[in-house]
Amino acid sequence: MPATNVAIRIREALNDIRAADLNDPRLMEVLGLAENLVESMKLFFSSLDTSIHSEFRHIALYIARTRDEIAALRPNDIRESRLPTAGAELEAVVNDTEKATETIMSIAENILALQPDSLEHYKAQVDEKMMSMIEACSFQDITGQRVSKVVSTLTHIEERVSRFSSVMGVLDAAEEDDEKEQWRKDNMLNGPQIDGPATGQDAIDALFDGDISDEQLGQDAIDDLFD
Amino acid sequence: MAVDMAMPILVVDDYKTMIRIIRNLLKQLGFDNVDEAADGQEALQKMQGGSRFGLVISDWNMEPMTGYELLKQVRGDDKLKGTPFIMITAESKTENVIAAKRAGVNNYIVKPFNAATLKAKMASVIGDF
Repeated sequence: MPATNVAIRIREALNDIRAADLNDPRLMEVLGLAENLVESMKLFFSSLDTSIHSEFRHIALYIARTRDEIAALRPNDIRESRLPTAGAELEAVVNDTEKATETIMSIAENILALQPDSLEHYKAQVDEKMMSMIEACSFQDITGQRVSKVVSTLTHIEERVSRFSSVMGVLDAAEEDDEKEQWRKDNMLNGPQIDGPATGQDAIDALFDGDISDEQLGQDAIDDLFD
Repeated sequence: MAVDMAMPILVVDDYKTMIRIIRNLLKQLGFDNVDEAADGQEALQKMQGGSRFGLVISDWNMEPMTGYELLKQVRGDDKLKGTPFIMITAESKTENVIAAKRAGVNNYIVKPFNAATLKAKMASVIGDF
């Protein structure tokens, strides 16, 4: 039987008993206690309803806000337009640099293979090929612009993710390395460093010449950072 | 003992341009007998398949087998362990250099490099030429 129906039945029973004018004081005491108990339970459950309602409302508002913030990220625009475009730009950079490198290398090999019949002829050939080499170097202008566009896209994404993280109070979860990432770590694949080699050739030479130990190599590299 | 300028040299790198650069440099230094491999696995197959090389010049960052793994495999193979091995790589952190040295690399060149450095390191490994 639902709680509210129990309260109603107890109240009806009490009224019936009072109407029947029974004078047993013990019975009246038990009935009074029952009535108090029902009133207390009623207060408790009504406050519980209010509290639960308030919690659910808070959760619903949070979900709605999260959804608005995710929409503000414009994830579909990032996925369908910005990232593919950035990928295409980088692919074009690779192609442009490959073509330019091929041109420059071929010219250099041609010059090395020249069999001049006279100094003047040799100079004329070299001058012509040098001009072609200089022209090939113009790839840097195009690739520079392409890379700038990619940087702009990454900055855009970074700003939006930062804002989302800040507004939602997100904390990073523990990093989980996938198999590929673990393989890269196991094989110490750090790649080229931003400001040039982390360990200079001179320090490496000193290590292989026996002038310094492994431990000193590490310290020398650290010292270089502070020089 | 004079260096055998006809000795076969194996260049290992996944970038064809880098192989081309090193080939040109070796040619200028007088070494014409140059073979190539696109990664450590292909290089190891050539070496274990019977080809003998007087020198291996290898990059580090390659898939599926890195130059570091190739070095360890070569040094772990009784028939190949004496092969001179130079690493030419953009991996320049001290952990890389020390790991390669402990694995038995004969010398280590960080990219970008020049012809003079290549010649000097080759000479330190195979003798003056």
